[in-house]
Amino acid sequence: MFQLKRRLPVLVAALSAASVFGTASAQDPQTYKIGAILAMSGQASFYGTVMSQGIKQAVDEINAKGGVNGIKLEAVIEDHKSGNAQEAVSAMNRLITINKVKIVMTSFSAPTQAVAPLADQHHIFLLNGGGVSNSLVGVSKYMFHNRSLAADLGLAAVAHLKSTGAKKLAMLQWKNDAGDSVVRATRPYWEKAGGSVVAIEAVPQGVTNMDTQIAKIRAANPDAIALWMFTPEVGLAVKRIRDFGMKQPIIGVEYTQNDAKIAGAQGEGYLFINDYFQPSDDQPWSKQFATDYEKRYGTKPDFYAANYYEGVYLIAELLKRAKAKGGDYMDAEVMKAALYDDPKFDSVYGGQMVFQPNGVAQKRVGLFKVEGGEKKFQSFVKPD
Amino acid sequence: MDLLAQLVVNGLVNGSHYALLALGFGLIFGTTRVVHFAYGPVYALSAYGSWLAASMGAPLWLSGVAGVATGAIAGVLAYLVVYRPFEKRGSTSLVVLIASLGLFILLENAIGVVFGTDTKVVPSPPGGIFLWGPLVVTGVQLAQVAALAIVATAVGVYLTRTRMGKAVLAMTDNAEMARIIGIDTVRVSVIAFALGSAIAAVPATLILVKDGATAHMGFLAVFMAFVAVVVGGVGSLRGAVIGGLALGLIESTGMVRIPTEWQSSVAFVVLFIVLLFRPRGLFGGR
Repeated sequence: MFQLKRRLPVLVAALSAASVFGTASAQDPQTYKIGAILAMSGQASFYGTVMSQGIKQAVDEINAKGGVNGIKLEAVIEDHKSGNAQEAVSAMNRLITINKVKIVMTSFSAPTQAVAPLADQHHIFLLNGGGVSNSLVGVSKYMFHNRSLAADLGLAAVAHLKSTGAKKLAMLQWKNDAGDSVVRATRPYWEKAGGSVVAIEAVPQGVTNMDTQIAKIRAANPDAIALWMFTPEVGLAVKRIRDFGMKQPIIGVEYTQNDAKIAGAQGEGYLFINDYFQPSDDQPWSKQFATDYEKRYGTKPDFYAANYYEGVYLIAELLKRAKAKGGDYMDAEVMKAALYDDPKFDSVYGGQMVFQPNGVAQKRVGLFKVEGGEKKFQSFVKPD
Repeated sequence: MDLLAQLVVNGLVNGSHYALLALGFGLIFGTTRVVHFAYGPVYALSAYGSWLAASMGAPLWLSGVAGVATGAIAGVLAYLVVYRPFEKRGSTSLVVLIASLGLFILLENAIGVVFGTDTKVVPSPPGGIFLWGPLVVTGVQLAQVAALAIVATAVGVYLTRTRMGKAVLAMTDNAEMARIIGIDTVRVSVIAFALGSAIAAVPATLILVKDGATAHMGFLAVFMAFVAVVVGGVGSLRGAVIGGLALGLIESTGMVRIPTEWQSSVAFVVLFIVLLFRPRGLFGGR
C-alpha cells in the first residue's frame, strides 16, 4: 500500500502522458493524403497533366523539407475523364472509403459540383484550382477556390472593352456551365452600359471546327469579340477568327501555352484578363517554381500548374494551423475554421491571396496582351 | 445572303472532310463488315505521324506521306493483330465491335501517353487567305476540297480498273461468294484496311495543318464517318462520299437560322431521319 501511494503520482503522470500522446498519435495519419480529381484522360487531359504536375512538384518539395509537422504528404490522383460527373463521384467515393482521404483538390465545374454533397456528408475539405463557374460558389460548406471565377474575369474583360469605345460586341462561348455563367454576367453589364450584343455563338467543349460560328459572328460585324471559353479552343478560335480576315479586337479570359501554340502568329494582339501568374525576378517563389518546373517537365508552367502547386502549399499551411487548434484537426469543420481565423496565404503568383466569405480567394488579376508571341502584362485590374 | 453563301462554302469544306473520312471508313466497313471504331485513333495516329516527320524537319509533302504510311500500317496491324484472330474463331460481329471499342480506348490513351496531351502543330504553309467578295476561304480549306476530288477519283479508278480493286468490290458485294470463286478474302481485307486507313490520313494531315492534332481528335472523326456511311448506305462508296458532303452542308447551312448551340445535334437528327425513312441509307442496296 505504501509502495502504491509512493508510486501513484508517477503512475498518474505516466497515464496522463500516455493519454496525451495516445490521442495525438491517433489524430496524426502516417501520411497526409491529398486527393485530387482531375482530367487525367479524355479530351481535356491537357489540364490534368499540368495540374497533376504542379501537385507532384509541391508534394516532393514539401517532403524533401521533412513534410508537414514531420509527416510526409502523399498525392492520390483520380480521373474524372475530362468533366464526367459520374466518374468524379466514383473517384470521390474511392478517395473517401479506400484511401481515407480528408482533403480533395478538384477541377472542372461539373465534377466539382457532383462531389460537393459527398464532401458535406463526410466532412471533406475541397479546394478547387481550375473550375470557373459561378455555380461552384456555396456548392459545399467546405468548398474553397484558389482560382478566380470566369464571370468575374469576364466582367473585367468587358469593362476594358467598354473603355476602348466598342459598342457592338459578339460573344463566342463554350456551351457549358462555365461559358454560360460568363454570358449571364457580362451580357446585362454590357447592355446596361449602353452597348449591344450582336451575336452569341456557342460551341461544345472539345470542338475542332467552329467555322460556322465564326461566319455568323463575321456577318454580325461586331466592334469587338469576346471569347468565353478555355484551352485549347481559345487558340483555335483566335486563329480561325483571324483566318476569316476579321481584324476586330479579341478579348478572353484565358491563353495557355497550348493556345499560343495553336494560334501561332495569328494570336498577335489577343487580349485576355487572367489570374496574374508572371514569374519574374521580383517574385522569388514564382521564379523558383517556374525554373524547377521547367527543369522537371521540360515545359514552362502555366497558371493551372501554379494553382495546384500553390494549392498543396496552402493545404500544408492549413494543416499546421488546424493542428494547432487541436482535436480532429483534419475534419473539414476544423480546417474551415482555421482558414477563416486568418484567411491570408502565400501565393505563388506573388504576395498573398485572401479568402473571401464566399470561399473564393482574391488574387491578383491582370490584363495581358500577346505581343511577339509572348503574353505581355499590361495592367492590374480589379474584377467587379 | 452573304452569310448563307459563306455557310455553303464552309459546308462544302467540312463536307469534303467528312466525305474523305467516310470513304475510308466505308471501304473498310463495306468490305470486311468490321465496325472499325478504332478508325478514329488510327486517323489521329496518322496526324501524329505527319507531325513527327514535320518536327524532324521533313517538308510538308513528305510529312503527309509519312502520315499516310503511318495510317496504312496502323490499319493493317489493327486488322491482323486484333480483328483477324476473332475472325478466325468465327466470333460474332458484336464481339468484334467490342474489340474495336477496346482498341479505340487503348490507342487513344497510348497516343496521349507517348506524345503528351498538348496540341501538336506544324508551321502554317504558304497559301494564305482568299477573299472573293464577301466570301473567305483559306488555302488549307481549298486543299481539303481538292483532296476529296483527287482521292475519290483515284480510289474509283483503282477499284474499277485493277484486279485487286475489283476483288475488293466483289467482297463488298458478297464476301461469301467472293471466297467461293477463289478470291483471297484475307488479302483483300488487308488491302481494305491499308487503303481505308491511308485515305483517313489525308484529312488527318490537313487538319493537323489547319488546326493542330490532339490525341482525342479521332472520336468525332469516326463518329461523323459512321453517320455519313449509314446515311449514304453501307456498301456504297459513292453513298459514303455524298453522305459526308450532305452532312457537312446540312450542319453548316442549317445554322443560318438556328442557334449554333444546336450544331452538334444535327448529325444525330440526320441519322435518325434517314434510319426512320430509309434504313438502308440513300444509296444502300436492298
